[in-house]
Amino acid sequence: MQWMTLFNKEMVENWRNKKWIWVPLVIILLAILDPISNYYLPQIIEAVGGLPDGAIINLPEFAPAEVVMMSLSQLSSLGVLVIVLMAMGTIASERKSGVSELILVKPVSYRNYITAKWAALLALVWAALFVGLLASWYYTNILYGDLSFKSFLLIFIFYGLWLTFVISIIIFFNTLVKTPGLVAFLSILTIMAMSIMTQIFGHILEWSPNNLSSYIYEMVIAGEVSSDLVATSVITIVLSLILVFASIFTFKAKELAS
Amino acid sequence: MSLLTVNNLTKTYDGKTAVNNVSFEFEHGKCIALIGPNGAGKTTILRTLAGLLKPSEGTIHISDTSLNDDVRKYIGYLPQYPVFHSWMTGMEFLVYSGQLALLSKKQAKDRAQVLLEKVGIADARNMRIGKYSGGMKQRLGIAQAIIHKPKLLMLDEPVSSLDPIGRREVLTLMEELKDEMSILFSTHILSDADEVSDALLLLHQGNIVESGSMTALRQKYQTSTIALEFESDLPSYQAKVNALPSISGSYLERNVLQVNATDIAIARQELLATAAKENWELVNFTLNRASLEDMFMKVVNS
Amino acid sequence: MQAIIESINWSIVAPFIVIQGILMIVAILDWAKADDFRGSRWLWFFIIVVINTIGPIIYFIFGRRR
Repeated sequence: MQWMTLFNKEMVENWRNKKWIWVPLVIILLAILDPISNYYLPQIIEAVGGLPDGAIINLPEFAPAEVVMMSLSQLSSLGVLVIVLMAMGTIASERKSGVSELILVKPVSYRNYITAKWAALLALVWAALFVGLLASWYYTNILYGDLSFKSFLLIFIFYGLWLTFVISIIIFFNTLVKTPGLVAFLSILTIMAMSIMTQIFGHILEWSPNNLSSYIYEMVIAGEVSSDLVATSVITIVLSLILVFASIFTFKAKELAS
Repeated sequence: MSLLTVNNLTKTYDGKTAVNNVSFEFEHGKCIALIGPNGAGKTTILRTLAGLLKPSEGTIHISDTSLNDDVRKYIGYLPQYPVFHSWMTGMEFLVYSGQLALLSKKQAKDRAQVLLEKVGIADARNMRIGKYSGGMKQRLGIAQAIIHKPKLLMLDEPVSSLDPIGRREVLTLMEELKDEMSILFSTHILSDADEVSDALLLLHQGNIVESGSMTALRQKYQTSTIALEFESDLPSYQAKVNALPSISGSYLERNVLQVNATDIAIARQELLATAAKENWELVNFTLNRASLEDMFMKVVNS
Repeated sequence: MQAIIESINWSIVAPFIVIQGILMIVAILDWAKADDFRGSRWLWFFIIVVINTIGPIIYFIFGRRR
């Protein structure tokens, strides 16, 4: 089956260029950075010279839900940046280098070509997210307090949708332009613009994908999945699929040589 | 029954016409060379036929394919500068290409083994393509183009980047492949075209300026010249030569007199008869047949 | 100072340091085999070794041509 051929090629490529090693490691580091550093904050302050006499160290005690949010917020900023840079050339650089001239004169379905790349990136990012959040969950439990495994799983699934959306944006810009740097720039710009729009028009864009994190936080606090979270998830999935279809469409309309 | 029919193909980029109203037909089992200087539109035609570019106007039809059929199944294509996934081995790339061309994994592997032998890079099958030399990449490129036994093989300047040995080997390989498939290739080196192709399409500034079989073109543009050398007194001999009825003109090139004639056979007879009769001090008599380059220049200039 | 170092539970911080180490080792192994650097081979070595964590990541993203 042609789709599997394309998908396997991506998996082997991402293994040989070590993405399957470094991306999960980086995501783990980002996910545990804040839980560990906040726990040791008093010692860190002491180590860099301490506070002036008379000052009182008044550090907040973090609840498990807040600690998880620290992990997610690192992933949403630096994590997304790393993912964008890691995936910026998935199609663009094949077109730029000219490999696609050999691949796409074979009877390759463009739908297979795009969705196989999309799926391979999702597999990598979801796997990295799983180990990253697992590490964060472990530290939360030993350093801050109980967080159920079920909560961890729900956080993983719902936050995975946000990263799925990010990957879909990257794939879309990959089919639109063939300079990897420009793909990265446009993807980041889009994510930032959406975030600003969501803040400004918060009352209308209640179910914007950018709100996933805050609904996840509410879920961890309340211990149940709200209807807002479900609605936002559905919107995120639908938008991701639209982006993938749009990618296939742009790619078909494009001339593949220049 | 023609394999490929191209009708009024036109391709413009940014207002510039790269290919202008080109039509030609292509029969099964033929080898056709697209000839022309750089920028004549050869690559654009091949890329358009391969589906990498969309025609601005005109149609391309491959026989035995219905409207919904993917013509890429029947086409093999090698770009002028093929780029591979350098992290794959030659074997892996061929199997990958074969599977993309809808062969089963087993079929693709068997075929890849055969082709690696055939193009002469079997020893490097498990080496990363990043370490291949230019010649090896060209061979791998040909192998990936024919992995699915296409009906039509298109090669863009297949030998121009190769050294003389590599060039000879690739031309021999093309000669062998002619039995299995039709070949359309571009080149700016006319002797290569002369060697393997059955017919030529001469391109100039996006237009097909002439086409036909090698022999037909030779006959049509046969404007041989006769080069004469004399011991002395060239100008007076030139006058005598020009006076002969079969000679249309002549010019001096250093100390050689180049003679043009409408009918070379009559001119030869007349010249030699006169020379014998008048006892010319003739040192050298050479009949020059028109080279392909001359022919090409003539076509382009006319 | 002594007290601070003793107050840190190294079994908690160790994974963090180990992961940074693995990142650097994998980057160096990749670097040792590679021949398609964007820019200078040794510059990349210094980037990997000197810049903690970020260095290997930058190398993985930008170091090689492929």
